[in-house]
Amino acid sequence: MQRREALKQTALFGVATTLFPSLIQSCKEVSRLNWQPQFLSVKNAELISALIDTLLPKTETPGGLDMKVDMFIDLVYGKLKDQDGQAEMDKEMNDFDAKFKEKFGGRFADLSPENRTEFLMMEEVRSPKFNGSVWGTAVGTQEPVGFYRNLKSVALWGYFSSKEIGLNVLSYDPVPGPFQGCIPLVEVGNTWSL
Amino acid sequence: MANFNIDAKKNMTYDAIVIGSGISGGWAAKELCESGLKTLVLERGKLVEHVIDYPTMNNDPWDLDLRGAATADEMKERQIVGRSGFVGENNMHFYAKDDENPYREEKPFMWIRANQMGGRSLLWGKQCYRWSDLDFSANAKDGHGVDWPIRYNDIAPWYTYVEKFAGISGEAIGLPQLPDSHFLPPMELNCVEKDVKKRIEKEFPGRNMIIGRVAHLTVPLNGRGQCQSRNRCDRGCPYGAYFSSNAVTLPAANVTGNLTIRPFSLAEAIIYDEEKGRAVGVRIIDSETKETIEYYARIIFSNASTIGTTQLLLNSTSNRFENGLGNDSGELGHNLMDHTYRVGAMGKFEGHEDEYYKGRRPNGIYIPRYRNIDEKSTTDKFLRGYGYQGGAGRANWDAGANQKAFGGEFKDALMKPGDWEFFITGFAECLPYHENQVTLDKNNLDKWGRPTLVIDAEFKENELAINRQIQIDAVEMLEKAGLKDIVGFDNEHGMGYGIHEMGTARMGKDPKTSVLNATNQVHAVKNVFVTDGACMTSSSCVNPSLTYMALTARAANHAVSELKKKNL
Repeated sequence: MQRREALKQTALFGVATTLFPSLIQSCKEVSRLNWQPQFLSVKNAELISALIDTLLPKTETPGGLDMKVDMFIDLVYGKLKDQDGQAEMDKEMNDFDAKFKEKFGGRFADLSPENRTEFLMMEEVRSPKFNGSVWGTAVGTQEPVGFYRNLKSVALWGYFSSKEIGLNVLSYDPVPGPFQGCIPLVEVGNTWSL
Repeated sequence: MANFNIDAKKNMTYDAIVIGSGISGGWAAKELCESGLKTLVLERGKLVEHVIDYPTMNNDPWDLDLRGAATADEMKERQIVGRSGFVGENNMHFYAKDDENPYREEKPFMWIRANQMGGRSLLWGKQCYRWSDLDFSANAKDGHGVDWPIRYNDIAPWYTYVEKFAGISGEAIGLPQLPDSHFLPPMELNCVEKDVKKRIEKEFPGRNMIIGRVAHLTVPLNGRGQCQSRNRCDRGCPYGAYFSSNAVTLPAANVTGNLTIRPFSLAEAIIYDEEKGRAVGVRIIDSETKETIEYYARIIFSNASTIGTTQLLLNSTSNRFENGLGNDSGELGHNLMDHTYRVGAMGKFEGHEDEYYKGRRPNGIYIPRYRNIDEKSTTDKFLRGYGYQGGAGRANWDAGANQKAFGGEFKDALMKPGDWEFFITGFAECLPYHENQVTLDKNNLDKWGRPTLVIDAEFKENELAINRQIQIDAVEMLEKAGLKDIVGFDNEHGMGYGIHEMGTARMGKDPKTSVLNATNQVHAVKNVFVTDGACMTSSSCVNPSLTYMALTARAANHAVSELKKKNL
């Protein structure tokens, strides 16, 4: 509960600073976010945004930030996680940034794409993988995959379930009609979105 | 859509009362109403009218902030069903809140409740298989439990009867251990399933892989539309393409003009009249006002779900039945069964990369039982048998989480379908054990003042031996079928996960060892019928709902005939 109250105050403070820009001058770091996190601290929201931009950059198709995946993760953090889950994720984000700082001397959100990429490749190598799943449940004994792979998974979910991607980039067909079991892929193109 | 008559105030007396409106209750209501009986259906939850009350049926993922996931607070209210992995924002309103309906688990038992009109018929898996004499004679053959008082021939015409109205799609292949239904055209297998089928059937003579037999319409029937492959069944189907009480049986009951359905009616007890020696009605608690009301009828059908019915019977005490209505045998509450679940194998299929499918088929494949069906297939490792469900599909963007890559190219590659994957998972028969039981806990009452339940049940050595074989066979079949990266798994988590709970008021020939007779009547109270899963004497390895439908239609027609003969 305390945690949640603290977050609310952070949010309120954030609103207040926009009313009194001079207050920001005294802060050491200026937020580079162009959105106000509802649940994450500004520092953690910056980390999430930087991670999303590295994982899912804009190409010919929209990037993760275009699809507001960072804002989606803020919601996931605030609504899908209980207090313990939020505390755990806070710790994971701190640990992640601390590890990064140890290697590169700055925060993930502040350093170059090259540094970020190098670090995430290391995370890829050391993070356990998800087990397969059947009907919504993982099979076997799932070893904890850690912050990085969990975040990557939620980022993919947020990106590919977003309206623009689901409706206009992937193949959208809300009412397919009778099931056809074997058709040429070229007739469909991209993966079905639903 | 006809509106339902919910005015149960002007009339307290009916020809028949049906407790519960799920798969079996809906059938009881339809049969009794169509026979001309004024019928009151008591539903403990809210009304859910077909289509009108399916608020989420057309939601796309992006229509909800959390893309269909339920919040931590919502899941806290649903900690039991939350274990299933099936609950989200789009179907949550069809699952009961577990925190309002507590029970005690002596051993882990996931009891999934759906307390509304239609019950779990809105949420079920729709797999429909006839049982055979292999099943009905199983107890007699190996001595576990008691013998069924019926055989396949007793129920076969009723299977046909309910199948014609419910609409079951599938392929007839003439197996004695899995009799064919009256089928609508089968759904299609996909490219990989067709290949795997060929290979399994070639490598393992005696094994078959077929498309699932399901209560989904593949052609229109009685004004209901055919399946549109949306796979959003658990939100309610706007076409009425799958069988539910809401779309099929209750509207049929309603058009007779004989149906009254009373929502928010929690059955507290069946009222037994000591002088008349029969049940005379049902005492309910209005779950909203907590008012107690009595309704009366000549016959009573209990269709409150396996454990719900037994809870009601145990709570229906009188001088004659101190331990629960009809419990002369002491078997009421005992012999709880379920199917084992979540043991099998998965793997990747190489080939068919240029092929795909259209539609989200709400169905998979089925491998019928092939062990202990004849002398040749008999094993000494365990009794009874198992079948598999499963299917093939292409991975989507989800697979990206495990790939050792990220960035622009990675993202754009995930737009295309990924590997073909195939899995099978077994469903094993569970023996009826007297000690697997539910009992009333009179010291812990629910918010309506009713004793809660204690569930004390577990799979034992025979089921675990079957599970071991399920995994061995699954891996072997996938290997021979040419799959790669095969992973065998055993995620058995205790009972209830199959959501096929059966038994606790079993049918039998002898009133000393069973609760119900061959026509689902309580032995000692013939005007009380139990036709939900509580009546089951053994569990087979195939899905039970079609058998509940057939037993219910059969019992209801017997009840009407007995009423006409003035035997009830």
